[in-house]
Amino acid sequence: MRFLVIFIIPVILGLISLCVRRIKFLGLAHACGYLLLIIASAAIFFKTVFLHQGLGAFNFFFLDGLSAFFLAVIAMVGFSASLYSIGYIQADIDKGILSLRKSQLYYLLFDLFLLSMIMVVSVNNLGMLWVCIEMTTLVSAFLVGFYQTKESLEAAWKYIIVCSVGIILALLGTILFSYALSLAGGPKSLNWTEMIAYSQKLDKNILKIAFIFILVGYGTKAGLAPMHTWLPDAHSQAISPISALLSGVLLKTAVYAIIRFGMIVNQGLGSTSYFSHLLTVFGLVCLVIAAGFIIIQKDLKRLLAYSSIEHIGIICLGLGIGGGIACLGVLVHIFNHAAAKSLMFFGAGNIVKKYGQHNMRMIRGVVGSMPFTGIMFLLGTFALTGFPPFALFFSELLVIVAGFLKGAYIVTGLLLFFLALIFSAMIYHFNRMLFGHAPKGMPRTKEPLGAKAAFVILLAVISISGLSLAWIYKPAVLIAQQILKGI
Amino acid sequence: METVIILAIIIVAYLMMAAKRIASLVSAFRLQSFLLFVYTLIEAIKQRNTELYIVALLLFVLKVVLIPSILAKIVRKIKVNENLGLFVNVQLSLIIGLGFTYCSWIFSRMVVPQQEPFMAIALTASFTVTLAGMFIMIFRMKALSQTVGLLVMENGIFLLGASIAGGMPFFVEIAIFMDVLISVIILNVFVHRINKLFTHIDAGKLNQLKG
Repeated sequence: MRFLVIFIIPVILGLISLCVRRIKFLGLAHACGYLLLIIASAAIFFKTVFLHQGLGAFNFFFLDGLSAFFLAVIAMVGFSASLYSIGYIQADIDKGILSLRKSQLYYLLFDLFLLSMIMVVSVNNLGMLWVCIEMTTLVSAFLVGFYQTKESLEAAWKYIIVCSVGIILALLGTILFSYALSLAGGPKSLNWTEMIAYSQKLDKNILKIAFIFILVGYGTKAGLAPMHTWLPDAHSQAISPISALLSGVLLKTAVYAIIRFGMIVNQGLGSTSYFSHLLTVFGLVCLVIAAGFIIIQKDLKRLLAYSSIEHIGIICLGLGIGGGIACLGVLVHIFNHAAAKSLMFFGAGNIVKKYGQHNMRMIRGVVGSMPFTGIMFLLGTFALTGFPPFALFFSELLVIVAGFLKGAYIVTGLLLFFLALIFSAMIYHFNRMLFGHAPKGMPRTKEPLGAKAAFVILLAVISISGLSLAWIYKPAVLIAQQILKGI
Repeated sequence: METVIILAIIIVAYLMMAAKRIASLVSAFRLQSFLLFVYTLIEAIKQRNTELYIVALLLFVLKVVLIPSILAKIVRKIKVNENLGLFVNVQLSLIIGLGFTYCSWIFSRMVVPQQEPFMAIALTASFTVTLAGMFIMIFRMKALSQTVGLLVMENGIFLLGASIAGGMPFFVEIAIFMDVLISVIILNVFVHRINKLFTHIDAGKLNQLKG
């Protein structure tokens, strides 16, 4: 029962942000709170993965290794976003963009958003999973439209409408799953644990149809192309710390839902080919669309949003290829993409704040005017595009190796081609933006301490987890296989 | 009796697809929710199931009374141009509606075992309603009609859950109701803001963000 602390932390922080109006204190309290969440999720990860104990309570919560892994991702990005928020919100208040009341509201929504995502990965019931994912949309729509400009309202509206439609299809799929369970004589329940126990008796045709609805439905939320249309708008208009949460974790929680259903389908059909064909196709479409839009992109934050679509595509391809090595690649990729993308969005937030615009053609000389942010952004770019020694290089390598070992030469070749294309496009865009002369009369600025700490921590996570992979490669494959069992 | 209600639900779905004004769309939604309420009530009486009574009650309070009146209130308040701005005209919409029903029928024959004809009809109806909701969301580009479209889709899913899966677990049902209520309230907040900032609620004209 001790694991319930992961829900208590955001609830208490939310209550604090309702009552306290001192923003500095609120920011620090959130950073400390989410540091505790990291510790709690590390403990849960240890318990579920190494001691093989599933955690559950009230027949409602259920955490296994997969949940614990995603919980760790949520905690990491939540912690770094709360560190970064301290300075970001303070600067907005100083400029008069946000009132004190609104920044209180920001922290409250931040906690609700994290709480709903923590719920997603820890409920057992697939119907409740749906409700929680819908709650994440509803809460974060306010954070997307937070500045209440015309663009941000448009983005929020599209976000809420497209995602709600998508997710209703996912509910349809969930009901078809429960229909299959009732045809197989199972209990009237939507619990994942019971569903997987009955999986071999489920009707194969219904499973196949239902999984299509699930994939399209939750895929909309995960930003799978061609259902990604809300994603660049929402990511570019949200407040920067929230963009990091949207891209780093929100998309991953939808991937989590797809993986959960995928496990049932793979067990029910007795082979992984159906699941892997579908995910491979969606993954490739993601890569094609992301590459095209990244090449022609002018808007800094939209570029990062399309890069999220690219990385979701890589994750889907990895899941599609399957097997121990690809599973390890997928898990390492999910974790480190969250870290790298948060780093990039924090950097982009600083740049946008300083230059007052998103257009990359108009931004020059970031390294000159903001040395710390500029260098971190440069390192982040290399990390994100898969450059050694950062972890994304190793995870992409693992997926590629697994693909070649499995004989999927065309798919893996295409993956390599698009990775190279996106790498060169991003280096081209950011090279022009980071170097060169800053506009005349622009003073050098220093970043607040919290933001600096967030940058350093994220960069350390990406490089250490990449390098350490070389030493713990063999046990890590086994752990990955155990976490993503059946894929 | 249930078959009659289900056919009526399909007909109301056609009515919605042909509706030209937001007010008539909202009242058609109210009618459809009422039919769903009657259907659930009959099921509850048949099965003597307390949980189903509560679900029916909630359905009545939320979808027949509360949500349509919230929508009607906002229609009056923001004095929106009543026309829905049809991207597809009425005749074509109705033909598309019939097409939806036909496709759903073929689909439900694939899923449902042969010996249960009623279940196939219910499945057809729920898919028709869901598709009609999606159609309204895509081809009636007003922010308010998109809200109604979402609710119609949700009605279709509710019918599906009630008829083929024998209802979902009780607390999931309650949670979904709460979710629908919250999303209507939040969508209304956004409709207000959009109306205030843009002085219209034409979602088709929200096209600043591109590329």
